[in-house]
Amino acid sequence: MLMQIRGVRKSFGDHEVLRDVNMELDRGDVITILGPSGSGKTTFLRCLNFLEQADGGTMELAGDKINLASASKKEIASVRKKTAFVFQNYNLFANKTALENVTLGLTAGRGMDKAKAEEIGRKALEKVGLLERAGYYPAQLSGGQQQRVGIARAVAAAPDVILFDEPTSALDPELVGEVLAVMKQLAEEGVTMIVVTHEMKFARDVATHVIFMADGVVVEEGSSEEIFTRPKEERTKRFLKRVLPEDYEEGALFI
Amino acid sequence: MELDYEFMQKTFFEVWQGAGVTLSLTALSLLIATAPAFYLAVLRLRGSTASRSIARLYVSFVRGTPIILQILLLYSLLPSILNVLVKAAGLDFNIFESVSPFWYAVVVFSLNTTALLAEVFRSALLAIPKGQLEAGLSIGLSELTTYVRVIIPQALVVALPNICNVTVNLIKGTSLAFLMTVKDVMAIGKVSASYGYNYIEAYVDVFVVYLVLCSIVQVLYRFAELRLGAFRGNDWN
Amino acid sequence: MDTRAFDPAMIVAVIPDLLRFLDVTLLVAITSIVLGSLGGIALAWMKLSKKRVLFAIAEAYIYIMRCTPSIVLLFIVFYGLPELLFSFFGFNANTVHRAVFAILTFTLLFSAYISEVFRAAYLAVPKGQYEAAVSIGLSPWQAVFRVVLPQAAVIALPNFGNATINLMKEGALAYTIGLIDLIGQGSLIIAQNFGAYGIETYTACMLIYWILTLLIEQAFARLERRLDKGQSFAVRDAAKKPGFLPNWMKGGEAHGA
Repeated sequence: MLMQIRGVRKSFGDHEVLRDVNMELDRGDVITILGPSGSGKTTFLRCLNFLEQADGGTMELAGDKINLASASKKEIASVRKKTAFVFQNYNLFANKTALENVTLGLTAGRGMDKAKAEEIGRKALEKVGLLERAGYYPAQLSGGQQQRVGIARAVAAAPDVILFDEPTSALDPELVGEVLAVMKQLAEEGVTMIVVTHEMKFARDVATHVIFMADGVVVEEGSSEEIFTRPKEERTKRFLKRVLPEDYEEGALFI
Repeated sequence: MELDYEFMQKTFFEVWQGAGVTLSLTALSLLIATAPAFYLAVLRLRGSTASRSIARLYVSFVRGTPIILQILLLYSLLPSILNVLVKAAGLDFNIFESVSPFWYAVVVFSLNTTALLAEVFRSALLAIPKGQLEAGLSIGLSELTTYVRVIIPQALVVALPNICNVTVNLIKGTSLAFLMTVKDVMAIGKVSASYGYNYIEAYVDVFVVYLVLCSIVQVLYRFAELRLGAFRGNDWN
Repeated sequence: MDTRAFDPAMIVAVIPDLLRFLDVTLLVAITSIVLGSLGGIALAWMKLSKKRVLFAIAEAYIYIMRCTPSIVLLFIVFYGLPELLFSFFGFNANTVHRAVFAILTFTLLFSAYISEVFRAAYLAVPKGQYEAAVSIGLSPWQAVFRVVLPQAAVIALPNFGNATINLMKEGALAYTIGLIDLIGQGSLIIAQNFGAYGIETYTACMLIYWILTLLIEQAFARLERRLDKGQSFAVRDAAKKPGFLPNWMKGGEAHGA
């Protein structure tokens, strides 16, 4: 077991966003988290990287057990070095080139020497098909290209798991494909990922495991085939009816 | 060190007497400056190349030079110019005795405020999306009507915080009117200070009066913003 | 007053004499800007801090400075401070150079103005930049120093330029406490001419200040172009979203300072 998450709770003021969320994953797993907006799935992901501090819960990652609500700075730093995060709106460093975006975490964060970092950075950019844009600033790249650099930045750190927070929802429809293709390729290479997304096709084709969340709890989980063809819970069925094409019938995606 | 509290108290009320002059100088300058400032702002946005340059030059010159120099220069210049004009008109009228320095101060601060307000109006007009004008034209309003009924009311709200800044800076700026022998807050404080060598006491009094005046003005603007900005909805609770 | 004709040649004639004292004017301004920026960083940090006491102190200081005419502060510092120093420490400040009082005054003022510029620029960098930095393994300090602050500096630059120009103009007040700077020298020239050529001398002073302002504006514009590396595109895009930059920054003019 690579990662085991237990009992995550989080409130914003009176509003309870997460109520006892659990999850586990093995190396090579691709877990997609689906759910209506406001279901808490993004907050859950952000708690795993301490971008939000959970009110309760534990995480066991590669043998270390950490309390999500009271982790020390050292523990937070160690989790962040073992994970990487891909943001919905990319969050590329606006004042750094594509290559510098990828190498900064290696040089400043891990103390790697510059030449080595650049070598890794170039490989990562090549993997997402943007080596020739290494010297470009984010403002000179399209949204899809920016997000691919964002993915390269995550890949370069060679993390145990990459967390994707709705990586395609800020993109124009015609740019979604190039980003999903890169993610699919990573999955095929065996990269462990947790992906919060609305891309049903990606969830169906790539995910090894699908989690459906609503109102701060995991409503249902299973293999993608189970969830898409034989959802058990009423809420899951209603959600799938709404987000899938109008002529949706259970199992239609698998024809 | 012992502060002379009795002196301080007495002087405070003397200094406070100057608030009327300070405020009327401020208010008059603002009122006089508003129309030409708006005209300059419109010129800079839609005037011919020549008038744009002239407007820009004026704003740049006023904003690029210290107000104290503007005061010193105009206070030397204005009386002489007026004198020449009066003589030319054949009037028997002694400019140097019969025009209060207060009016020279009004001229100086109006000219200065015009340039500052022009910039405020310009950026406020720029902040209103072009679609507002287009929407006005599309329902058959004239350009002028669209400006008066739609754009200016919105621009005014955008501009209010900056107009408040200009006003506060103007109140502070008028403290230099003592150089023209205007009897404002600062001038009275200065006389009291040098009279008894109670510098700290007198200038702390002056400082407090300005603090009060600026605070009142800021509260008033805040209030105006709440009233005029109602259409913005969620910005204010 | 006589009706002596205005003499444009005199404007040119006094300029070299005035320029000899430009160094005093610049020294006062630059020293105040450097020291005031340090104070401004401290104040901005206090206003961003979660400690209520620090926040309140900084807030009160900035508010009071915003409401104080520079000349009043200058007179309090110049006339009042020596009295205080003498009665508390027995220190005779009468031998201290006048420029020191001017610098102290303008440092106090500038730190208040500029702290708001710094704070707004810091807040204008999207929060995601910090999050992305820590997510790739930078420590919180590294994230601030390597990612957020360099971007904030570029955002702050135009307003810093405005504040610099404003401070230089405020510096003109220093002659009222008898400092012989550009304007102080101007007054001396007028006095030597028994009050004549006032208009010409003041016009010359104004021209010098105007050119100085234009030069500073140019210098900052160039610096901005060199530093921004495509970043301003992103900022400009973000600035189109309402509520991203405070209103007074959108106009590009710092009227408050």
